[in-house]
Amino acid sequence: MSETQSQLLNQKITRRDFLKYTGISAIGATTMSWLLPGCASKDIKVFETADGMIIHESARCTGCLVCEATCSVGNDGKASQVTARIKVSQNYAYGPKGVRGDWVNGPGEMGNFTLVADTCRQCEQPACALACPENAIFEHEGTGAREVDPEKCVGCGTCVRACPWGIPSLDPETNVSTKCILCHGYTACVKDCPTGALQYVSWDDAIQKYKEHFQV
Amino acid sequence: MALKGGWAGTILRVDLSTEQITRESTEKYSRYIGGMGIGYKVMWDEVPQGTHPYAEENRIIFGVGPLTGTGAMCSGRTNITSLLPSNPFHGVSDSHMGGHFAVEMKYAGYDAIIIHGKAKRPVWLRVVDQDVTLEDASVFWGQGTFNTITGITAIMGKDSQVAAIGQAGENQVNLSVIRTGPSHSAGGHGGVMGSKNLKAIGITGTGSVKIAGDRNAWHKLNKDTFAIVGANNQHVVPSTPQAWAEYHDPSSRWTSRKGLFWGAAPYPIETGEVRPEEANKIGYRTMKAIKDLGPAAEKYTVRMGGCASCPVRCHSHLKVPELAAYGVSTNVANTCVGFSGPHGIMKGTYTIEGKTKDEANVIGRTTGSQIADDYGVWCNYGQIGRDFKWAISHGYLEKVLPREEYNSLSMDKWEKGDPDFFREFYRRIAFKEGELATLGEGAYYLARKWGFGEDYWTDKNNKLWTKLGYPVHHSNESDGIVGGVISSMFNRDAQCHTHQNFLGSGLPLNVMQEISAELWGEGAIDEPANYTPVNDAKVRFIKWSIIRNILHDSLTLCNWMWPMHVSPLKERNYRGDTALESKFFAMATGFKVSEAELDEHAERIFTLHRALTAKQMKSTNLRQDHDQLTGWQFDMDPDKEAFSKGTIKLDRDDYEKALTLLYREMGWDEETGIPTRAQLTKLDLKDVADELERMGLLTA
Repeated sequence: MSETQSQLLNQKITRRDFLKYTGISAIGATTMSWLLPGCASKDIKVFETADGMIIHESARCTGCLVCEATCSVGNDGKASQVTARIKVSQNYAYGPKGVRGDWVNGPGEMGNFTLVADTCRQCEQPACALACPENAIFEHEGTGAREVDPEKCVGCGTCVRACPWGIPSLDPETNVSTKCILCHGYTACVKDCPTGALQYVSWDDAIQKYKEHFQV
Repeated sequence: MALKGGWAGTILRVDLSTEQITRESTEKYSRYIGGMGIGYKVMWDEVPQGTHPYAEENRIIFGVGPLTGTGAMCSGRTNITSLLPSNPFHGVSDSHMGGHFAVEMKYAGYDAIIIHGKAKRPVWLRVVDQDVTLEDASVFWGQGTFNTITGITAIMGKDSQVAAIGQAGENQVNLSVIRTGPSHSAGGHGGVMGSKNLKAIGITGTGSVKIAGDRNAWHKLNKDTFAIVGANNQHVVPSTPQAWAEYHDPSSRWTSRKGLFWGAAPYPIETGEVRPEEANKIGYRTMKAIKDLGPAAEKYTVRMGGCASCPVRCHSHLKVPELAAYGVSTNVANTCVGFSGPHGIMKGTYTIEGKTKDEANVIGRTTGSQIADDYGVWCNYGQIGRDFKWAISHGYLEKVLPREEYNSLSMDKWEKGDPDFFREFYRRIAFKEGELATLGEGAYYLARKWGFGEDYWTDKNNKLWTKLGYPVHHSNESDGIVGGVISSMFNRDAQCHTHQNFLGSGLPLNVMQEISAELWGEGAIDEPANYTPVNDAKVRFIKWSIIRNILHDSLTLCNWMWPMHVSPLKERNYRGDTALESKFFAMATGFKVSEAELDEHAERIFTLHRALTAKQMKSTNLRQDHDQLTGWQFDMDPDKEAFSKGTIKLDRDDYEKALTLLYREMGWDEETGIPTRAQLTKLDLKDVADELERMGLLTA
């Protein structure tokens, strides 16, 4: 068992505890899916991270994409929507599924204005890392974030295909994969979001946010 | 001079006649910065005097700049340059749009797209990084902008950006727009695209914009800028008294306050009090919906929105279920004149059964905005509405329209304020149906064809600034002679917000006068509606305002937010930082320039604009041919003298003196207002001086 996996299991409050504490497990699958990663949530998405979770609160997101620019410039020295590790632009205009028949009422800037972000969950069993034939994706000691070693990466794109959310991206200019490293704890996207739609929180904080939000 | 960062480095050139697609280096244009600067340089070099805007020889240039797409604050603007069809002498002009098209262009690898020629049949331009093709647009021709943008996105992929014209542009209506996203319009050049059979441009960019400087220093610079930014138009005090704020101003666009919500969000989100240091709340400060649509708009507001890399969010996004009755989407987004422009055609207030006056106001204005946007009709900064109402009130409409056409108009709907009137009005304009469509040709052509008398031009309520046929846009109401002269320098309404943002910051007059004295000298600004004659400080303020406007449209930064002359920070004594543009430019491109040096680049671009105007007008005296006002500015308020309290009236002699002083400050001929050879040479525009001389237009 890796150190990070061990850390996750030994956390004071686990994800299961969180769901139990907030009563979600008792409410049922429909409500639960509202909060689970990768669900069809329309309001808030909650993502597990190595140390906690990043919340993208859709209702507060105004689509400025400051997060993408600050991420890519900070990490790569160049602004790019492709290498940005938080991904709003790819769902920006018409939602995650793109143009659909009822686009006028569907998600996205051209529809009902609901913006959906794709963000790295820093999965407990990271498909990207498990699939990488070069073992180029490792855990950062400080944050537990799954990080690509550019020296080992051969640009095969296996991680891109393995991730259910399409988070790892091959930089078309370097042919090296890249993904969210939580800025080694700094999380620039969260710090620069002008509406506080992004938050990087521990599990304890997540419970508090939940209580505040629903006044329970 | 190799380009290291900021610029993409490549300009795309598309000849629609030959279907040739070529690329060239941006280096040739780097002295013109980008955006507007590239546009003017191309127009000067390639478009002969006397070219009609709808001729194949005309160019239309989509330009972005070295800061576009870098993430620098408010750097999402696209500048579009071409001959302006509604202008009497078809002068060169710019239209601008925000949204995300500009950054996509940069990520695809282009600083500009130069379009010329005319396609044999309707096409759209598909740009996927280096893969550029012309595609059949027959399926989109005849469609509105919303369907076109959506259809092209369906073909290109969900992460593409599209700019398109509606039926108005296709039919070469002079007052037509190019649109992108749900709410971003560039007014004036839609017909040029239509004349070229170019329905749209779709772009997918997977590349990047390099930052030449240190990434951490860049991040800090952007953070520092976040710390001094205000609300929309760089208003730096809240609109209501708030405990943290020393000052407030009811007219400020910093409208967030306790108890004011995005009322139609999935759950109500309070804008709240936003302190200057709360960077994660900047996006709540500008609750623009209630400014543009009145108090009832609160409950319809889903959220705010806007352009790439802008934390300020000046576009209102609303859910208005009642719009279904008018056949348009119930999800509507826009800002400012995007709402008020269409509204201007209506008689006044709206009457909708079962709705309050305030609710009807929201429903009416948003209906007009949706319909005008879809057809792609431009309001000429609100002029089309004033023209329509002048034609009604002075009996022209009934006289010039054939009886059958006049009787077919649903004037009963107009009389009672039924938003359904928008549908037939804009359809007739966009499809050039009947005589009414003359309204879409612009004020100059309309007045000529319908035989408007001189009173049309001299009535202050018509707001026409010069005989070019464009209205006031922060003119003499903005520091008297300062806004007055700024408004005369362009070939359409002045889209300059540099001076207006400063004047509207919300800070008390004594603080503003201190800051203005530091920037331009004592006496640059006066108490509103209590103006003094022109002086050297005012002239410096005029020049600086124009130059920064030009700079922003070239970099490209949003002139509705930039420059940062003031800040909301008491600890900075409310001072901003006017060197920020040069700091961003230096860091992005790697070229170290001072604030003054960058301003000189912008001065080159503005001087080239002036030379282009002289060339296109074949004028040896722009003072007489271009810069003269319609007259109401001097004759309004007959019981008041200019420079007295309570009037924005200008004085004829003072106006002429102000022109002379500005010409001198710009290095132009003080009599004719045409750039001198000496100044053109100083600005590395010797070839421009040679051309003007060859045409017999160089007067000094």
